[in-house]
Amino acid sequence: MSAAASASSHAGVEARLRLLLPWLLLVVLAILPVAGLGPNLIRLFFITFVWITTSLGWNLLGGFAGQVSFGFAVFYGLGAYTAALMITAGVNPYLSFIAAAAVAALASVLIGLPTFRLRGPYFAIATIGVSEAVRVIMNNLEITGGASGFRIVEHGPFRQVEHYYTALGMAALAVVVSTLIAHSKFGMALRAIKQDEEAAADLGVNPYAYKLAIHAVAAALTGIAGGVFARYAAFINPPGVFAFQTSIYILLMPVIGGIGTVWGAVLGGAVFGIVEEQLVANFPQIHLLLYGSLLILIILAEPDGLAGLLGKIFRRLRTSKREDDSADSGSGKPDAVLRGAGGG
Amino acid sequence: MTFVDFLNLLIAALLLAGIYAVMSVGMTVIYGVMKIVNLAHAGFMMMGAYFAMELNERLHMDPIVAALLAFPVFFLVGIAVHWLLVRWLPHSDRPTLQSLLLMFGLWLVLQNIGYLVWGNTDRSIFTPRTLAIIDIGPISISSLRLVVFIAAVGCMVVLEIALSRTWFGRSVRALIQNRYAGRIVGVDDEKTARLTFGMGIAFAGVAGALLATLYSFDPDFGRPFLLRAFVIIVLGGLESVSGVALGALVLALVETFSIFAVPAAYQPAISFALLVVALVVLPGGIASLWAKRRRLA
Repeated sequence: MSAAASASSHAGVEARLRLLLPWLLLVVLAILPVAGLGPNLIRLFFITFVWITTSLGWNLLGGFAGQVSFGFAVFYGLGAYTAALMITAGVNPYLSFIAAAAVAALASVLIGLPTFRLRGPYFAIATIGVSEAVRVIMNNLEITGGASGFRIVEHGPFRQVEHYYTALGMAALAVVVSTLIAHSKFGMALRAIKQDEEAAADLGVNPYAYKLAIHAVAAALTGIAGGVFARYAAFINPPGVFAFQTSIYILLMPVIGGIGTVWGAVLGGAVFGIVEEQLVANFPQIHLLLYGSLLILIILAEPDGLAGLLGKIFRRLRTSKREDDSADSGSGKPDAVLRGAGGG
Repeated sequence: MTFVDFLNLLIAALLLAGIYAVMSVGMTVIYGVMKIVNLAHAGFMMMGAYFAMELNERLHMDPIVAALLAFPVFFLVGIAVHWLLVRWLPHSDRPTLQSLLLMFGLWLVLQNIGYLVWGNTDRSIFTPRTLAIIDIGPISISSLRLVVFIAAVGCMVVLEIALSRTWFGRSVRALIQNRYAGRIVGVDDEKTARLTFGMGIAFAGVAGALLATLYSFDPDFGRPFLLRAFVIIVLGGLESVSGVALGALVLALVETFSIFAVPAAYQPAISFALLVVALVVLPGGIASLWAKRRRLA
């Protein structure tokens, strides 16, 4: 009996630790620049925060509601251009970011109204079409400077640390929003839609309205990320921010990190941001080759992504450490992909 | 627009439709039998293009012959890919996101192998036929496009015969109509799926090789054509071969004649806009307008 009691108190400590860890992480990240982080590393962290935010944004729609979109570069790009135009016009950058979120959310509704009449892969395919069409249009618009790009003019000195804290705050906001949604009735409805749209509709959930709503939240986060990135980069062009490649990156991060979980998306974004910055300058092909292979492996072998893999490793370590706990073999649940294989 | 201009454009659209049909039909058969949206189609089209280029440069083979040779080669590649990756996917009578993402990952891998091997410069295949023109009175036809069209139509005819006359074709049609009923009457769905996947990839290879004779290409070659293929199979009703021919014709006509209505810079957006419109307004394809149930004629 005492073993069980100690195990339960152990679990209590663990749960509290799990609640505390994100705040600890935030504090450490907030102290880092003060502790003398070099400009290169600050840049690396900044980019990683931007990617984490987009990863979390995509995960809201793709992971929670199960709607895979290949079109998030649209929101990233629109956010970037909105912020760029407003900052250049002299508007406060933080107001511009809010406007970027609003524009991206508005675009998501306009895109979602027709495309959410489609299910699953049809929606995914339609988003490829939408994002290609938007890039072509942005390439030709006068106001954005067309294909030659747009230079952002901001008065005042360039303070890298300010950008760092902006991005950190944004990523933290994305985590908070994602966590709140995950634990809300709204999040539960989204998961019901992911599992079975008809059944969700029978239970009184309007899939169309819910999908539109989460699409808007996801787009707003992605739009802010685009705006924050644009302000840092000071130069954007349609083949950059609206690239199909950008959509691919935004999709790969949460899928590889662990689709449908908040920390999986964060992990995916962090791994991607760091690996990208180290690899992309020298070996861009190897970078995507790696991610393509990883995607194939994850789909076939580990649908819960890197986060799922880490979880399994931790469980196994723990069970081997605690000899008395023999009830759980720690092998984890059978892979969802393989479980479905017999049903054909 | 004079009548001669109109005829010239019409012929150009027809010739374009032939190659469009070949590049889409591979996706259609795979979708029909396995309900997999094969995003890797673009990657295999790109590989087909480089296949023709390498044979042309190293062995001085005519690219059209190389395109026909691509069929057996890519067929085997497709079977290997099915054995290695695709058969592990869960079977489903609806397209799953897992299959979509798997094929997407495969596309990324193929594309970046392409970048590693051939770099990112534009390549093209140039033969004496490239600039030749046949004049019939006031009408002029690019002889290369005509040859490509003939090769493309030849492929479609062979496919049509294979589907309507062979046991394999009957199995394919049975599985497209109803997978479970097909299994009940003794269709080996695993084997049929494997052969179908091989065939779909083979058509991707052939289409890529044929397209390579008309356009310059780089490892990102397949993407715009992948989207066009989507438009075509959606217009065609997703799983019918005759629908693909119809969809290809519609897209080719719209693209060719839209130069009068849409500024050239916005041309690339047409097929994508058409894709979204077709998906939303006509989920059953054009044929659903006048026929309730017509599949794989």
